[in-house]
Amino acid sequence: MPKCSSCGKDDLDKDIIGINKKLISKDITNFYCMNCLADYCGATVNDLYEKIEEFKEQGCTLFK
Amino acid sequence: MQTKIYADNAATTKPDIEAIKAMLPYLEYEYGNASSLYALARKPKKILKDIRKKIASAINAKPEEIYFTSGGTESDNWAIKGTAFALRNQGNHIITSSVEHHAVLHSCSFLEKLGFDITYLPVDSRCEVSCKDLRAALRSDTILVSLILANNEVGTIQNIKDLAFVSRENGITFHTDAVQAVGHIPVDIGALGVDMLSASAHKFYGIKGVGFLYISSKRNDIIPYMSGGAQENGYRAGTENIAGIVSMGVALENNVQLIEEQKRKLTELEWIIISKLTYSKIDFIRNGSENRLPGSMSLSFAGIEGERLLHRLDLMGIAVSTGSACNSKSTEVSHVIKAMSVDSKYAYGTIRISFGKHNTIKDAEEIASAIVSICAKNKDIY
Repeated sequence: MPKCSSCGKDDLDKDIIGINKKLISKDITNFYCMNCLADYCGATVNDLYEKIEEFKEQGCTLFK
Repeated sequence: MQTKIYADNAATTKPDIEAIKAMLPYLEYEYGNASSLYALARKPKKILKDIRKKIASAINAKPEEIYFTSGGTESDNWAIKGTAFALRNQGNHIITSSVEHHAVLHSCSFLEKLGFDITYLPVDSRCEVSCKDLRAALRSDTILVSLILANNEVGTIQNIKDLAFVSRENGITFHTDAVQAVGHIPVDIGALGVDMLSASAHKFYGIKGVGFLYISSKRNDIIPYMSGGAQENGYRAGTENIAGIVSMGVALENNVQLIEEQKRKLTELEWIIISKLTYSKIDFIRNGSENRLPGSMSLSFAGIEGERLLHRLDLMGIAVSTGSACNSKSTEVSHVIKAMSVDSKYAYGTIRISFGKHNTIKDAEEIASAIVSICAKNKDIY
């Protein structure tokens, strides 16, 4: 399982990887955990979870 | 997640409070059917007449040339399919452009399946259709030309006056989709010389689900879109949406008066965005011609995909639109950006910011700062 490139938190699941790719770039190989990604995007962790749900509803394959 | 700055006014606008207030009595008390013969129908019947007059006056048409519809999509569908079916015995060739709204493009592809022949005119890098290309595409069996007045993605205002003239001098019916234009720039039927024009209330601070189609009284070569009652002079059956029509009339009257004032304000907001991005050395281009809708900005950025930028802005409470949509495998550039041959370095990074009358200088500054910050962080990734 990949680790957060900022705080080192491990066990980043497929949804976290997916939201990193969706919001930063699909080509990235280093990922943030939800807290660090929220900081990076100037958002809250809840906002990111809302986004994940929206992307899943749209059928985005990054979350499958 | 809450939207703090709404900058997608080309998608829809916040209805004017006056437009909402004006419609309420027709939902609460004056609910009569305008076609009925008793007292409760009198006021709805009268307001229908008044609003028709008001709308006609806003575009310099005659009241009997205004047909109420459910919005821009219905108006476009009716203009195109109604004319095609009415004139089928005269020809089966229709001319449109590659940068039309899908209401026009999909109406045309529907007709194509029924045996009509459609020519899609190209545009130049400013999204403009040329009279020369239109002239060259005309054939003896051409029955209709449909070209958008102001493009919904990049804001380019077409030279409809000259294009309609080319069509008219060849005796061909001319329709324009003016959904983005009406209420935002001066629209004068007499000056444009078009036979049909589509508009939608929610694009000019009215409510959704109502619009109109102007059909010149000089033309009677269109078949009714809906069959049923005798509403709209027998051309568009269905009980009238009185409340929506009232809101549309009030909104149009309000906003036509503000056109010049809004143009000045919106141009200033555009300038704030452009100057801040330029000052911050962001690698971007602005799409469309110089002659464009006030407040409409199609911007393409190098190194970041439009949809990614849109979602990042959304997380910062800013609502804009995109000219490209991605899935996990590829990014699709919109048909308009593609038709303009925007350099692929930028095309994938296209967003549309469309300011409206509720936007402020602070909104423009915050949007520009947010884009600068996202682009700067994006650079650091690589």
